[in-house]
Amino acid sequence: MKKLKLGGYLPGDSLIHRLDPRTKLLGGLAIIITILAVNSWPVFVLNTVLIFLVVYLEKIDFKAVLQGVKWMWMIILLSFTFQCIFVKGTPLVVIGRLIITREGLYLGVLTFLRLLILYLSSTILTMTTSPLKLASGLEALFSPLRYLKVPVNQLAMLISISLRFIPTIIEEAEIITKAQKSRGAPFSSAKKLVRLQTGMAVFIPLIVGSLQRATDLATAMESRCYTGGSNCSRLKKLNFGRTDLMALALIAASCILPLFCFHGRFWQVPR
Amino acid sequence: MSFKGIQIIDVTKYYSSGQNQLTWALKDINITMKPGEFIGIAGNNASGKTTLARLLNGLLRPSRGRVLIDGLDTCDHRQKLEIRRRVALVFQNPENQFISPVVEEEIAFGPENLNLSLQEISRRVEEALEVMGLKELRLQAPHLLSGGQKQRVAVAAALAMRPDYLVLDEPTSMLDQFCRHELIKHLHVLNRQQGITIILISHYMEDLEKADRLVVLQKGSLIADASPQEIFQREEQLTGLKPPDIFRMAQLLGKMGYNVDCQITTREEMVAYLCRLSKSVI
Amino acid sequence: MPIIEIRNLSYVYHPNTPYEKKALDDISFTVGKGEFLGIVGSNGSGKSTLIQHFNGLIYPELGSILVSGQDTRDKDFREQLWKKVGLVFQFPEKQLFEATVFDELAYGLKNMGLAAAEIEMRVDEALKSVGLEPEQSRKRSPFSLSGGMMRRVAVASVLAMKPDILVLDEPTAGLDPEGSSHILQAIKKFQQDKGVTVILVSHCIDDLILLADRLAVLDQGKLLAWGLTRDVLAQENLAQYDRLLPDYLKMLFDLKKRGWVINTGLLTVEEACQEIAKILRRDGT
Repeated sequence: MKKLKLGGYLPGDSLIHRLDPRTKLLGGLAIIITILAVNSWPVFVLNTVLIFLVVYLEKIDFKAVLQGVKWMWMIILLSFTFQCIFVKGTPLVVIGRLIITREGLYLGVLTFLRLLILYLSSTILTMTTSPLKLASGLEALFSPLRYLKVPVNQLAMLISISLRFIPTIIEEAEIITKAQKSRGAPFSSAKKLVRLQTGMAVFIPLIVGSLQRATDLATAMESRCYTGGSNCSRLKKLNFGRTDLMALALIAASCILPLFCFHGRFWQVPR
Repeated sequence: MSFKGIQIIDVTKYYSSGQNQLTWALKDINITMKPGEFIGIAGNNASGKTTLARLLNGLLRPSRGRVLIDGLDTCDHRQKLEIRRRVALVFQNPENQFISPVVEEEIAFGPENLNLSLQEISRRVEEALEVMGLKELRLQAPHLLSGGQKQRVAVAAALAMRPDYLVLDEPTSMLDQFCRHELIKHLHVLNRQQGITIILISHYMEDLEKADRLVVLQKGSLIADASPQEIFQREEQLTGLKPPDIFRMAQLLGKMGYNVDCQITTREEMVAYLCRLSKSVI
Repeated sequence: MPIIEIRNLSYVYHPNTPYEKKALDDISFTVGKGEFLGIVGSNGSGKSTLIQHFNGLIYPELGSILVSGQDTRDKDFREQLWKKVGLVFQFPEKQLFEATVFDELAYGLKNMGLAAAEIEMRVDEALKSVGLEPEQSRKRSPFSLSGGMMRRVAVASVLAMKPDILVLDEPTAGLDPEGSSHILQAIKKFQQDKGVTVILVSHCIDDLILLADRLAVLDQGKLLAWGLTRDVLAQENLAQYDRLLPDYLKMLFDLKKRGWVINTGLLTVEEACQEIAKILRRDGT
């Protein structure tokens, strides 16, 4: 019941788990930018294959990964359908008054792939990188900003702790909802105002609980000599190894290379 | 030449609770704790036990009096970090102490804050995992473990700081009987084998019966400071807390005319004694 | 007719996913009207899942549960069940949200659609039954109270609804012996005064020994034992479970294994001592 909360960290020892968080951050970002900005088939196909390869390598059950996609199905299905039907172009299939065009079909598949890859790349990041490592990665990438007096260390710790507590807070919200339901709280009332008030019956205890938690956590961190300063040493110092270089090279290849190798209208997706 | 140990000298702690009202948490407390001791602190809620725990590592400062850790004054700002390295504190609810979703990272957090070398941090994490029996769980998420396992992680995280004194504030209140027993056993092992001074706060007498000394607090005042067995004998000093079951049995049987050795604290010892008693007749 | 009837109840979380977990496995027992039932089990035993069936938060897919003769699989019945079955969760003080103690207790009553005068009366009554002075407490903010008092307010907010069946999940969790004793006494008194059926869940059998008429013992989703308190405590198979029985009761089983002819269906330390003394005297000591 407590296990997976929409892409929360799943402990493991796979190749992907062991990659430097900076690699995953930069790699993920590169893939996302590419598929949003580019309209070339080879790039898409290669990136999709890459993502699925990563999912396979991270040794996490595919069903678990797709669990989060379930709530996106509606969006994906709707956008796919709309693209197919409403984009003008060369007709492919005619069903009664609905005309599905070739261009529409292309765009539909493209949108589907875009959404899928967007979801998968962010999920891969959060599932295989513990929040503390993620914070370290962000801290390392943004460390030059320290010279501009940006509190990079504290921000990184902030992000890390927030990520770690998201599943806990979600679980607590579930319990509070059940407790209020047990007192007849009208969660499914027809009136918006009533639903809003009922929402407060969950929101307020959640906030109070979170404030208490924050106090306890701060006390515990202080007791372990946390001073908010920069920690030069971390248990596993971010180690940029050969695997990381290879991973980044592979991602760069699938993002940039096809643009140069494959020319011609056939490979372009119509706008 | 500095004194080794914890000295609580004439400590009083009060809070102002608005409208010029004062809430007294502790009054005129004097306790000396020597290195290597296993000290139990008992009392009901509002007895001041939690306040006392937080005074020991400088999270709170006394309103009057002093708390000295190996001669260092907890009121001295400059000594704050050193004191917190020597006195590790484990809290009642382990959930709200975990900052990381990976056990070994959680344990490493303390040493990292001490800016130690990577090898040293690694070494300490391995040690702590070994001592608390957590090696198989090292990559698990602490907040998804069972209650007993969570507390072991919290203790391991404290041990990684290599403290001289380990203070535990009601660590067993959310655990079932078996897990309580296991945790206390671990603490005694730490005390005997590594010489760490253990200060255990609990309202369960079973947790404290094997301590070297028992300190009882009630409404902020010190009521008793003696060996557990002595205090169990004097009911009024227990201030409403229940003595351990086996001890009560020994007392009741004593009243019925059977002289039970008051060193008997476990079920096995009592069973052995009773069997000897009945065999001596047959 | 029993007020609750559970027949072959099984419950699985997240079926057909990697997180599938069988929380309850073929549970069957009944609860009599006005009875005090104790449910014992450690974490992971399925007790939290079980009690959510009692007030309709969860309904069974395998097996059935009847409350006052009606099946909870009936959606309309289930949605109104909260008025008859009051459920107090673990650490109930975490659900407080209103500005005053009065409003907090009135919340459930307003949802029931009661008149203002009735609400006033019930709030005062409920506060008294948990040992709080109505005049002093009503206007205070629940967040200004101590932890123990917040818990009493949370419990009172369910008592005010005057449920026929009161279900409490570990009401003494985190409390000291004095606080535990107060709350358990308040619950017992409430049961005796109103003739309410009470189901109290705990991992600590000590809380239940003197209060419960019957005990049900759960372990990893299965029902290990169910019956009158003394009968359940006397059962051999329970003694193997280290986490269940207190030391002085486990001792009786140890003595039995060593050949003593001893009654193991006892409740308190005093009874255990008397039994032991009786045997020793009989043997001539």
